[in-house]
Amino acid sequence: MTVSGLQGKLSSTCPKTCPILPNLQKSKSKACCKRKTENKHPGCDRRPPASANTTYQDPPPKSRTIKMSTAVRGKLPWPLKMSYDKQDTLLKLFVLSIAAVLSFSTRLFSVLRFESVIHEFDPYFNYRTTWFLTEEGFYSFHNWFDDRAWYPLGRIIGGTIYPGLMVTSATLYHVLHFFNITIDIRNVCVFLAPLFSSLTTLVTYHLTKELKDVSSGLVAAAMIAAVPGYISRSVAGSYDNEGIAIFCMLLTYLLWIKAVKTGSLFWGAMCALAYFYMVSSWGGYVFLINLIPLHVLALMATGRFSHRIYVAYSAVYSLGTLLSMQISFVGFQPVQSSEHMAALGVFGLCQIHSFIDYLRAKLSKEYFEILFRTMALFVGTAVTGVGAVLMASGSILQLRCLNVSEHQPTTWSSFYCDLQMLVFMFPVGLYYCFCRLTDANIFIVIYGITSIYFAGVMVRLMLVLAPVMCILSGIGVSGILSTYMKNLDISKVQKKTKKTENYPIKNEVASVVIMMMSLFLITYTFHCTWVTSEAYSSPSIVLSARGGDGSRIIFDDFREAYYWLRHNTPEDAKVMSWWDYGYQITAMANRTILVDNNTWNNTHISRVGQAMASSEEHAYEIMRELDVNYVLVIFGGLTGYSSD
Amino acid sequence: MADCRKIFSTFVCLSVVFFLLVVDSPALGVKKKENALGDKVQQLMEWSSKRPVIRMNGDKFRQYVRAAPRNYSVILMLTALQPQRQCTVCRQANDEFQIVANSWRYSPSFSNKLFFASVDYDEGADVFSTLKLNSAPSFMHFPGKGKPKKGDTFDIQRTGFAAESIAKWINERTDVHIRVFRPPNYSGSIALGLLFTLIGGLLYLRRNNLEFLYNKTSWGIGALCIVFAMTSGQMWNHIRGPPYAHKNPQTGQVHYIHGSSQAQFIAETHIVILLHAAVTFGMVLLHETAVSKGDVGKRRIVTLVGLGIVAFFFSLLLSIFKSKYHGYPYSFLIK
Repeated sequence: MTVSGLQGKLSSTCPKTCPILPNLQKSKSKACCKRKTENKHPGCDRRPPASANTTYQDPPPKSRTIKMSTAVRGKLPWPLKMSYDKQDTLLKLFVLSIAAVLSFSTRLFSVLRFESVIHEFDPYFNYRTTWFLTEEGFYSFHNWFDDRAWYPLGRIIGGTIYPGLMVTSATLYHVLHFFNITIDIRNVCVFLAPLFSSLTTLVTYHLTKELKDVSSGLVAAAMIAAVPGYISRSVAGSYDNEGIAIFCMLLTYLLWIKAVKTGSLFWGAMCALAYFYMVSSWGGYVFLINLIPLHVLALMATGRFSHRIYVAYSAVYSLGTLLSMQISFVGFQPVQSSEHMAALGVFGLCQIHSFIDYLRAKLSKEYFEILFRTMALFVGTAVTGVGAVLMASGSILQLRCLNVSEHQPTTWSSFYCDLQMLVFMFPVGLYYCFCRLTDANIFIVIYGITSIYFAGVMVRLMLVLAPVMCILSGIGVSGILSTYMKNLDISKVQKKTKKTENYPIKNEVASVVIMMMSLFLITYTFHCTWVTSEAYSSPSIVLSARGGDGSRIIFDDFREAYYWLRHNTPEDAKVMSWWDYGYQITAMANRTILVDNNTWNNTHISRVGQAMASSEEHAYEIMRELDVNYVLVIFGGLTGYSSD
Repeated sequence: MADCRKIFSTFVCLSVVFFLLVVDSPALGVKKKENALGDKVQQLMEWSSKRPVIRMNGDKFRQYVRAAPRNYSVILMLTALQPQRQCTVCRQANDEFQIVANSWRYSPSFSNKLFFASVDYDEGADVFSTLKLNSAPSFMHFPGKGKPKKGDTFDIQRTGFAAESIAKWINERTDVHIRVFRPPNYSGSIALGLLFTLIGGLLYLRRNNLEFLYNKTSWGIGALCIVFAMTSGQMWNHIRGPPYAHKNPQTGQVHYIHGSSQAQFIAETHIVILLHAAVTFGMVLLHETAVSKGDVGKRRIVTLVGLGIVAFFFSLLLSIFKSKYHGYPYSFLIK
């Protein structure tokens, strides 16, 4: 299919292109090309007219102003005395603040049951690095070589972590201390994730508002406050990268959508800054840097490419890549590794596409044809040659899969457990999006499909799926609710003499539908709270069980052992344990260890394993060689600990 | 005097002849042995040129692998490839062994110092009893000189039977280096090529009317299909390969739904796809009737039908979930 063939199908009254730089083409049709805000191109769609039954036609709204006398108005309570705008704003603030408070409080189960303690294994490493940052300052942190881990090798910490989480906590800590609110660093770390989940609620509201409208935004915000898929990685105490990464990711998406819709450099630059924050916080930024180019490609393929997207993507890519290379861990990967090549490729394609549009506007038709054909031939052969060379050298994207429990594929019951009604409201939201495709909708559709594929392959990536599920389900739910709310006859003041054709679903049926949707939403809340309480709120460093007489027995053995080490052993003692407990020992017992959860040196780990699995004489030799003073042994005994 | 000389000369002639005969016979014996060895080697070379792994029975084993003279090594695979033996491991090990033998056969250092052979249990059971083996598969190395030692039996339990490990073991025992060459698997490339030609053909046939690519509805349906497939756990099925359903051997009852939340059956995922699709369809129906134009009464009924579909299938989904997650306290309409 050649370009000329496509152009022959367009209506002859429209100009064939819109100039990229509006001020160069004053003579072109003025009705075209006011693409500042929305791409409503009057009468000039490049796409064939959609058939009638796929477009969503909003029924003409009934006039809703209720004419009340001032006497009646005076007797109403104060919220209803205000104008509709003020009521609107009050309602929005009310809903959003409840959602934010809900998201904070639902993550506090383990703090209420046990205490404010850091959970699991990895968060202890993050806690220790944050503590170091607050004590020593940023430059020591950035250049930190840790000699208390991986004895005798040591570990370069400054260049091998994503510093966003630690920097955020340290900044918060210093700000609070500046105002003389002296909260301990441990508490800042424990409660950081719930705080950021409240902020995520707000960002989700804004993002969905950009995609559809305010009501969908409110529903999506309420849903993401409680969704278990997100809660599992951001409970109070789970001080891990994902806690702030989801906030950064959604912020980047929000600013990207704004940049795409307005085409302004300001929003593009803000998006690049948010992307920098995302890169500093989580390794999952690779998903972003592939999703945004994919979106741009999809827009090109559907003929929606315009100067707005050109400006947005160029700004985001160039500024974002430069900023992302400031993180030492990322380094030069954005221009070397295959995972970032898609972004670079689309960047080049953007430039070529815009250049072709510019030429097409400048040249006459015949010259353009000749130039285009020769260039296409030339470029095509060059690209295939380069592609063949690249494939021969084997630099194709490889998906690395580790065999850890979180990296297993997902059963349907895990989907349902983590998402409940979102699982089937998600297709409804997709359907709504397809009814009314805009540039932003295409983005959310692509995001949904790619993240659902990845979540199906790896359980841990359910976290990335949860926000998009909430957004699309919010769109779906609010679509149905708003359709049926219009059918409700709430105004008793207005006398209806005739039934309008647009609202034939009578009062009763509409109220039944709305009641059922509310029931679904209530069930959703119950389910989410139950799952959070049962499945995702255990600190795993403190265990609890029911005694024979129903009383609660707390096992705090881990912490007792670590504090014994801290108080009763010399400063330079070396402790040998299996790598699971490495982070906890360095954080709580403050002693040197041999191997920890980073597992970057398998040979060293296998040496420790050999020492643990050999006979006593042989093991003693290995331990003398490694300068070991103490050995950590886990034994369940009467309680029957699971790894006995 | 003349008689004495005659007797003496005949005696000398006889003794010379006798001496020659006696002296010659060891050399003759050596020549015979050399001929025998050369024949054996030639026979083995001829067989291995036809087929890299020589199939042997008991007699051939005794003649070529066990009996002297030998100046070559034999790598022997003892296996049981008949279908009624149901030894899947034997089949996999046989594949790997064939790869090593092929790599040797076509390598530049191919010589007559190393041969690959195999004995099947059903063709040479006496070989198994001679070597005191009762498990298959098993790999043994028979050196040219002397008897096989402990290290000449390949330890499959420890190292597995990958072609590379076998080649490494052969290198350790015989100092012959075989570079394992796996024939490239073209099935993936062929499938991809077929797919591309199909798509290209389709596009070419409909090149005048490419409107179907722009049809939003088809893209929408495609996206929905992907979503339904993923949320029902098809990737889990693809990676773990569960059975379709489970038949309890004692009671004979067929279970379509797995009892725990850690696993699922294929039948279960199909049921879940149907349930999800039904609930989504009900929801979409609810929306469509509210906005479409048509007969009022009919639309009202369709709304109620949609509502019923949603409520019923959601409660079904919830009850299935409850049966997997013991301790889940909520249910909707169906217990």
